[in-house]
Amino acid sequence: MAIAKAERLMNLALCLMNTRRPVSKRELRASIEAYHEVTSDDSFNRMFERDKDDLRELGLVIDTVENLDGEYGYLARSDRNRLPDIALDPEEAAALALAAKVWQQARLAEAASGALQKLRAAGVPYEDTHSALEPRIPTPEPAFEALMLATRERRAVAFDYRKANAVRPEPRQVEPWALECWRGHWYLAGYDRDRGAVRVFRLSRISGRVKARGAFTVEVPAHVDVREAVARWAGEGATTTATIRLRRDSGYPLRARAVATTPVDADWDELEVPYGHGLDAWLAEFGPDVVVLAPQELRTEVLDRLRAVAKG
Amino acid sequence: MSNAIDQTRRMLSLVTYLRERPGARVSEVARAFGVSEAELIGDLNVLPLCGTSFRGGDLLDIDTDGERIWWHNPGTADDVAQPLRLAADEATALLVAARAVANLPGLRDSDRQALLRAGTKLEAAAGEAAGGSAQLSVTFESEGSVFATVDRAITERRRLWMRYYSPARDALTEREVDPIRLFAVGHTYVEGWCRLSEDRRTFRLDRVAEIRLLDEPSDPPRIEPRDLSQGLVQPAGDDPEVVIEVGPGGRWVAEYYPHDSADELPDGGLRITLRTPDPGSLRRLALRLGRDGRIVSPAELAGDARDAAVLALAGYGE
Repeated sequence: MAIAKAERLMNLALCLMNTRRPVSKRELRASIEAYHEVTSDDSFNRMFERDKDDLRELGLVIDTVENLDGEYGYLARSDRNRLPDIALDPEEAAALALAAKVWQQARLAEAASGALQKLRAAGVPYEDTHSALEPRIPTPEPAFEALMLATRERRAVAFDYRKANAVRPEPRQVEPWALECWRGHWYLAGYDRDRGAVRVFRLSRISGRVKARGAFTVEVPAHVDVREAVARWAGEGATTTATIRLRRDSGYPLRARAVATTPVDADWDELEVPYGHGLDAWLAEFGPDVVVLAPQELRTEVLDRLRAVAKG
Repeated sequence: MSNAIDQTRRMLSLVTYLRERPGARVSEVARAFGVSEAELIGDLNVLPLCGTSFRGGDLLDIDTDGERIWWHNPGTADDVAQPLRLAADEATALLVAARAVANLPGLRDSDRQALLRAGTKLEAAAGEAAGGSAQLSVTFESEGSVFATVDRAITERRRLWMRYYSPARDALTEREVDPIRLFAVGHTYVEGWCRLSEDRRTFRLDRVAEIRLLDEPSDPPRIEPRDLSQGLVQPAGDDPEVVIEVGPGGRWVAEYYPHDSADELPDGGLRITLRTPDPGSLRRLALRLGRDGRIVSPAELAGDARDAAVLALAGYGE
């Protein structure tokens, strides 16, 4: 079944590429054997439209031209489909081949190898890229593909989204601007229509299908910084500090981040650490090896966590 | 293996490739296209069924004896054999990947420069198909100087000494490691043979407190690299089971911890079942969760977390 379709797509592509004048749907139907098997006009029309879409997804530019009788003809002009000359030296080719392996998401992984195939067909040298370095982009959440296409085509979307502490997901309408993968997780930044403001969404909190919601209504800014917003939640970019007591020889990551460390006695040190979002949860992890001295609100938050765990 | 669209994509490029290289070897073509020889032969069986014109009759005359590939009518197929422009997906996939890797802290400068040059040329050649790549970006986190040291150790086949932080024990240990490879999945890791545990170990670069190249040669045993597509942590079937119940504010646990099941609870929370070789390492998680979740079983681990919290409260005079 799959072979039959590839053969049909190949025949359609070659016909469209090798003609100098637009070829009508009728001519294509008569010329391509796979279409003879389709008896009803409706099924043929549906199949033909799908086939054209598939070829366009592969990068083929297919022009639609109306002739004097009002009949549509199709052709893939060679000047519009030719890859411009590209000359990569072996070093550049090898670097690109290494980068092409990063995708684990099926659609982009296939696209990356398809791109390399086109480049190699165009004469880019093939370099055997054995490298001790293996960067991998984690397989993104199910919503990724629909959001990538909507972002590229500037189409608004609707989806169900569960905020960090929400009991239930709620519907959101978003004009998607940019997708970014940071620390192994994918985020979407865009204009939230209901809130009338820019919002960042974590893809893993989107549930169900991503639905289409028409064209953008708000202008896309020239620069969209997803990471800045996300890093703030992750506690980075803190402007104030907290004072804690830390047991000697414990809490290395706290020590690595501390702006000041003073020994107190034989067992304890006093540390000044950046106070960003999420510090309370992090400090609670160290249990009896950390005592928060200031500020008071942080002390209260940590105590609150510890009391909840002590109650069991 | 590959679906009809990917096969079509490949066959279109094959037409171009083969025309320029009469008598090409099956093995070389398969390597250049990143497919098995069997897959390539599959493509070569389809190509002679493809016509080059809507008038019919002119089929691609491509054949193979299993070792070399010949094309007998290249002259008649000028327009179908030209190199094809990149699709939006293709340009996006390559450009985003090239930028992400080029920005990896610690990458050798010659590799970075080569990637940046390739990216610029590719962007120019892709034309408007490159447009979609601007909305997609990937950042690999890495400790540049640690990365560069590990990279050098691998290239020069030298052993590494490091002081490494283990969050589960909240302790630093000194180890000697024969590095095998570096990989980045969000964070960057080095996989190597740990001489302390005489076992394969994975170290996250941002947990390396100190690192030095040793003069001893690196001599890791020959081991199959781990398959990263299944995730970093792959619990074994006989690891002890841990059950954690979280409220809505603790749902993130299911995103960060590989688990066997995560069942919805009526309050919007989750009941998560996971397996780990070392349940004690989850004590930190229990303390962090506070009122957002608790360990249900094993009872020993739940008791551990409770005791730690009581002890910690004593530090505040409670």
